[in-house]
Amino acid sequence: MLRYILSFLRIIATKMLQLLSSRKHLIENVLRIYIKTTSGSTLSIEIDPKYDIKQIKNLVASKIGAQPEELKIIFAGKELGDNIIIEECDLGQQSILHAVKIKRNVPTDQSSSKMKPLCEILDDEMFSSNITNSRSNSFSTDNEVINISNSVMLENSTIRSKKIHFYVYCPTCKDLKQGKLRVRCHFCKSGAFTVHADPQNWIHVLEPKQITGTCENNPELCKDILQNKEPTFAEFYFKCSEHISLGETDQAVPLDLIRPNLKQIQCMACLDTSDTIFAFPCPDDHVMCLDCFKQYCLTKLTERQFWQHPEYGYTLACPTGCPDSFIKEIHHFRLLDDENYNRYHHFAAEEFVLQSNGLLCPQPGCGMGILAEPECTRISCQNCKYVFCRHCRQGFHIGECDVVENNDTAGQNFSCESDMNYNNGNSGELASRTTIKIMTKPCPSCKTPTERDGGCMHMICTRAGCKFHWCWVCQTEWTTECMGDHWFG
Amino acid sequence: MTERSPSKRRLHRELLSLIKEPPPGVSLDAEQIEQNLFLWTIHLEGAERTLYEGESFQLQFKFSDNYPFDSPEVIFTGEHIPIHPHVYSNGHICLSILTDDWSPALSVQSVCLSIVSMLSSCKEKQRPPDNAFYVKTCNKNPKKTKWWYHDDSV
Ligand SMILES: [Zn+2]
Ligand SMILES: [Zn+2]
Ligand SMILES: [Zn+2]
Ligand SMILES: [Zn+2]
Ligand SMILES: [Zn+2]
Ligand SMILES: [Zn+2]
Ligand SMILES: [Zn+2]
Ligand SMILES: [Zn+2]
Repeated sequence: MLRYILSFLRIIATKMLQLLSSRKHLIENVLRIYIKTTSGSTLSIEIDPKYDIKQIKNLVASKIGAQPEELKIIFAGKELGDNIIIEECDLGQQSILHAVKIKRNVPTDQSSSKMKPLCEILDDEMFSSNITNSRSNSFSTDNEVINISNSVMLENSTIRSKKIHFYVYCPTCKDLKQGKLRVRCHFCKSGAFTVHADPQNWIHVLEPKQITGTCENNPELCKDILQNKEPTFAEFYFKCSEHISLGETDQAVPLDLIRPNLKQIQCMACLDTSDTIFAFPCPDDHVMCLDCFKQYCLTKLTERQFWQHPEYGYTLACPTGCPDSFIKEIHHFRLLDDENYNRYHHFAAEEFVLQSNGLLCPQPGCGMGILAEPECTRISCQNCKYVFCRHCRQGFHIGECDVVENNDTAGQNFSCESDMNYNNGNSGELASRTTIKIMTKPCPSCKTPTERDGGCMHMICTRAGCKFHWCWVCQTEWTTECMGDHWFG
Repeated sequence: MTERSPSKRRLHRELLSLIKEPPPGVSLDAEQIEQNLFLWTIHLEGAERTLYEGESFQLQFKFSDNYPFDSPEVIFTGEHIPIHPHVYSNGHICLSILTDDWSPALSVQSVCLSIVSMLSSCKEKQRPPDNAFYVKTCNKNPKKTKWWYHDDSV
């Protein structure tokens, strides 16, 4: 009897599994997408990815009471030709297509590349060069155009996959993912927008106002805003290809220095040749595999060797010291794990405070950044309420500091509240901050806590940009007297 | 097969290329490296028509897990330490690419070549002026020394 019940249960279980799997199969073959029309309505339709654009037009036309020939379908800055298959368009679940009614009776030019989806036109080759030394192809001479089309033909003959790879940091997946390029009107932000030319390199995609186009959403309105002073421009942005779109505001950050390794360049650190690389923005093709890039960031972070760049923020350059090779998009440091990314933020905030002539609360476990008037010697931390002397970082006192003090303003005490406390407190670092207090002394120049690693008394500030040579004993600049008197203690 | 760390992968490759195409005057003890990939002994021959012609030296490279992001610790070892204004009698070398100017694009080979050229350009065999004092007081690890780099014209 028991055996009978068991086998019965097993049959039910397998039946249910079959049901589930066949249902899953069904779902995989249906693409739910949205069609936005210029009248402002949004249709939700379920389609087979094998549909072509002609079929989509028929479907939409019947729903909005128009003729299929009157419609054009726009996606990622491109009007799609009738014989394009949806599969070719790099759509994801819940992507948005735009349906626009043609007003003029202009025959559309079916032969041009304009009718193909953007993802089919762009390839990795165009985007493989570095921003700093890439030349714009769109203004190339006739000779160069011929070269380009030749190389495209060659590629096609070897049946090389042309598909472009964009890498992004996805805030939803919280990880490095492949991304998809999308286009909208840079004024009204509508996706019903067609580009006049395809982007040819990263500058066209990342910098504003590079490629012009036609806004199909509300051309008159967009022209009015512009007062015909400048053309309408395309705005490029990215979506994560690995989660279902959460709507038009769901965007990912392009990590333009992460690229497919087309030229098969060795990682400068481990000498392996990997498929995906981090390419430093320098002309010498210095690349690292992603593992080594993470290791490089981690090493530099631990040594506090990141630079505070006035435009880009707290960043790194090519490790071989190539000029102007700073990483512009600091989201590349998202490749660090969470703990170290927090540490990165913490250090960046400290660096910001120091560069703004602020100071850091010396209380163990606090480290709050404080911006105070330069003549103010009584500093109070709004985070931990510690009140301390600007010069010696000990509890606030009247009169001279206990330790050797060379600052002119020592002795005169101004009391004032700090005007701004810059929050970079991070309770996770409590333990390390406690040891910092004991093991370290502030660099006399920039006040960064510096550890003495045994050995001699000659200190060099480890903070990038400071590198002040100082004496652990005197806490002033390192001199030949220090060298003769107490170099090694 | 287990995934090897980047430092091991890198050292392995450097080892293979050094065995295959050693630069002139440079040879290494592969057997010893087999025992410990993070500790290499390299034999250097003084270049012809230099003050060190006919002499041979031993360099010791110590690598960390974080190589090549961390520079290797490089010293002369053995009986014969070259007499040179940038080489202390305990084998420590005052050469900026070993600390401040290190870059992961450098390698064991490029360090060896720098040391060979440092020796070759020497005009007068002598120890650094602060040799006696330094050797008495320095840390065992030359990377802990905050070097004042002697001027490079020597
Ligand atoms: Zn995602
Ligand atoms: Zn618009
Ligand atoms: Zn690597
Ligand atoms: Zn470089
Ligand atoms: Zn505080
Ligand atoms: Zn004080
Ligand atoms: Zn400093
Ligand atoms: Zn001193």
